[in-house]
Amino acid sequence: MNRTARSRSRKIAPAVAVAAAATLILAGCSSSSGGKKAEEEAGDISAGKADTPRMTVAMITHAPSGDTFWDTIRKGAEAAAAKDNLKLIYSNDESAADQAALVQNAIDQKVDGIAVTLAKPDAMKEVVAKAVKAGIPVVGLNAGMSDWKEQGLLSFFGQDEAVSGQALGTKLNSTGAQHALCVVQVQGAVNLEQRCAGVEKNFKGKTTKLYVNGADMPSVKSTITAKLKQDSSIDEVVTLAAPIALTAAQSVDETGSKAKIATFDLNKELISAIKGGSIEFAVDQQPYLQGYLSVDSLWLYKNNGNYSGGGEAPILTGPAFVDKANVDTVAAFAAKGTR
Amino acid sequence: MSMTQQAAAAVTTPPAPGPGTEKDGRTTERPLAIRLLARPEIGVFLGAVAVWVFFLISAPPVRDGGSMANILYQSSTIGIMALPVALLMIGGEFDLSAGVGVIASALTASMVAYQLSMNVWVGVIVALVASLGIGFLNGWLLMRTGLPSFLVTLGTFLILQGVNLAVTKLITGNVATDDISDMDGFSQAKALFSSSFDVGVVQVKITVVWWLAFAALATWVLLRTKYGNWIFAVGGNKDSARAVGVPVAFTKISLFMLVGFGAWFVGMHQLFAFNTVQSGEGVGQELIYIAAAVIGGCLLTGGSGSAIGPVFGAFMFGMVQQGIVYAGWNPDWFKAFLGVMLLGATLINLWVSRAATRR
Amino acid sequence: MTTTIETQPAETVPEDGKPVVELKATGKSYGNIRALHGVSLSVHPGKVTCVLGDNGAGKSTLIKIISGLHQHTEGGLLVDGRPVHFSTPREALDAGIATVYQDLAVVPLMPVWRNFFLGSEMTKGPWPLRRLDIETMKKTADEELRNMGIVLDDLEQPIGTLSGGQRQCVAIARAVYFGARVLILDEPTAALGVKQSGVVLKYIAMARDRGLGVIFITHNPHHAYMVGDHFSVLRLGTLELSASRDEVSLEELTNHMAGGAELAALKHELAQVSGVDTEELPEEGDVTTPAATAPDGSA
Repeated sequence: MNRTARSRSRKIAPAVAVAAAATLILAGCSSSSGGKKAEEEAGDISAGKADTPRMTVAMITHAPSGDTFWDTIRKGAEAAAAKDNLKLIYSNDESAADQAALVQNAIDQKVDGIAVTLAKPDAMKEVVAKAVKAGIPVVGLNAGMSDWKEQGLLSFFGQDEAVSGQALGTKLNSTGAQHALCVVQVQGAVNLEQRCAGVEKNFKGKTTKLYVNGADMPSVKSTITAKLKQDSSIDEVVTLAAPIALTAAQSVDETGSKAKIATFDLNKELISAIKGGSIEFAVDQQPYLQGYLSVDSLWLYKNNGNYSGGGEAPILTGPAFVDKANVDTVAAFAAKGTR
Repeated sequence: MSMTQQAAAAVTTPPAPGPGTEKDGRTTERPLAIRLLARPEIGVFLGAVAVWVFFLISAPPVRDGGSMANILYQSSTIGIMALPVALLMIGGEFDLSAGVGVIASALTASMVAYQLSMNVWVGVIVALVASLGIGFLNGWLLMRTGLPSFLVTLGTFLILQGVNLAVTKLITGNVATDDISDMDGFSQAKALFSSSFDVGVVQVKITVVWWLAFAALATWVLLRTKYGNWIFAVGGNKDSARAVGVPVAFTKISLFMLVGFGAWFVGMHQLFAFNTVQSGEGVGQELIYIAAAVIGGCLLTGGSGSAIGPVFGAFMFGMVQQGIVYAGWNPDWFKAFLGVMLLGATLINLWVSRAATRR
Repeated sequence: MTTTIETQPAETVPEDGKPVVELKATGKSYGNIRALHGVSLSVHPGKVTCVLGDNGAGKSTLIKIISGLHQHTEGGLLVDGRPVHFSTPREALDAGIATVYQDLAVVPLMPVWRNFFLGSEMTKGPWPLRRLDIETMKKTADEELRNMGIVLDDLEQPIGTLSGGQRQCVAIARAVYFGARVLILDEPTAALGVKQSGVVLKYIAMARDRGLGVIFITHNPHHAYMVGDHFSVLRLGTLELSASRDEVSLEELTNHMAGGAELAALKHELAQVSGVDTEELPEEGDVTTPAATAPDGSA
């Protein structure tokens, strides 16, 4: 999927030409603030390069295309691939059946390792077993906390969604919130439901759930606005993705509600919002780490026979809290899209 | 040729002169109520009123002016796109690329302005050109190949989806655009595309004003101009329209470009309301626009419809979407309720048009 | 036929001798298929030129060339003596050639008055406020239709709700109104009943008397002979007969139209195969193509 998208990018040549022409003609229209010029130059993480034989690793996720969070996972994976001298084949598909087909594709390519997400474990069971049978080491990441061991994966890198939800719930107890609104942007996604359930479990106040259409931001905004109006006792909005949190901040602002905002996951705009105080804190599951570690572990397994967690325990990459106290250290990394 | 001259010539040789009040008895004047029912938007108007009254009763917060403003805002972001989509549908075509087209436009504006460190208006203008270009391409391919618009625009839908992601990633290194809110021209553009104003204590979004203004303009164009006449004609019977001299290719291509304009406008709203755009958004919205047009009484096969119907169609969508939240119901049922409403509206339309044309 | 219009047009309309539209050995090929070949035809003002032929004889192709829908591939098309190539129907219309198609070229869902003015709408006001002059258009459409003997109480009704004859007359009235110098009528009576056919023939005569050149496409020689001044019979894409009214009788015309010699052979064969009593079959001269046969859908 990703590769076809890239080949299509050739078709943008005219658009680039138009943009270039516009640059020349409208040179006088430069913005004196913001923009690319103002963006600080940030170098990539580099940690030397391994001299082990070249190997190929496939990472297959259930990510929707064009999502910031998943892009960070991919960046982590790419960093590890560069360091470990391995070729990374990244592919993604939201539908479980198509994701399984992509795994089969990797098996057919005889890759040296597979990193896979198990968002819908039962649908992936058969094809994962095939990979294991073919002697390809498989590790799990992000989703599949309860199934990875049973399906014969070597290791698992991720956040226990329920645990991170519970952690957020506990934290809310200390902020004095009474009524939390948990905003779910994809209806019926297991990991998102687990987060909300986790919050509800540990939070002593009342928890209400709200579904929004994550593909349509104006709709997200008015739906949260509507809910805040409908129930004025809500004093905490918990969102499950960074862009949703930023939109929720606008809704809160507009309704004049006293609600604070806590969210799962980070991006660089969110960091600024935490700095500015419009968002209280974020629970980071460190997606970069998930991508990086899963690929790196396959390299270690191949070259040194190590496996993280000893095949018994998952490697937890979160929850890590980011709030005003530690936001400055995280900010520099987030600006590069790696945190 | 001069029309008045011909008219005069025609009057000089009346072959069957008859008194002005003569009736031939084949047709009778239809009662006002029936003629009113024959309007394509009446079904959806009744439906929208029903839904509104329903939520007024069952969801107390809806009675608040601020809530109505919020519902109208949600409706307007659907409605602004539903208008050109409806005109296109009356003209006999679909545009499945309308949803991602919105995001493509927002991404273009944001990236051009940010990457070149330009005044944001430069990005806004480039995005307009790009959006109109996408529309033109859709229309041109359609006329050139003679393929159904479903296929052609499905192609552009997929291409745009891929290009949105790939180009954003290629240029920004991320899958979302950078925040442009501190750049020159941002506040001006925000004032145009996504500001709000106070009516008493209620804050109303400017998109609501644009939505209604565009709807009024579209209604006027559709019913009172040559171009509007052509839209009905190319949708109703393309070959006949061509035979009597209607420029079919111009009409269809310009309709696609109109959808491009709508996508640009909504895209700019999203950009200036939320400062950044995620490249994967917008997928699936095209069906909501089409649904609003169909609920609004536009014939799926073309040739019939109105611009005011989709306004009520979009309002119905916004009302239900927010009404369920205001009512505090279990949101799990939202999609099911929406589906029932869609079927219901279609059935009302069918019933009304049958009742009106029965002779 | 209940209506007979046997006027002598040559006496009422002075002939200036110059054809408005002229075909000179014109032909059209669609790839390998030659639909029309070497057809010559001239249309004079105030005259009715009838083009007859069976299904697939090339009548539709002929119309499409003159009305600008298709372009000829051989020979020439002359308007007022100048060779032309119409690339769109609009160009033909601008040259004063209006066509009333078999399918009437109306948009069924649109109101009668909008159909009447479709493609040539009246407007008023300066741009960008230029708008349809609806009142004038409705009034004009109503007057023109009344002149044609069609009285509609509601011009807002979709034209699809009118009867076939009414729609035909709306289409003819439209062409006449828009200043056509040449009116092409494609099988106007094919789908009509006897009485409505008479009405349509009356309007053909009327258009002729107004000085229009009329091309009347039909496969009914009786209808053709009632109003025609010149008769061209097409067979398999070529001209089989081209004769003026005083050179041909209805019987001859019918005979040509019905296939003449071929028909005689067919009659003979039928007699041999099934023992049909040939005496009971109509004589060659009586063989006609019924008016109510299905409209010619092929080229």
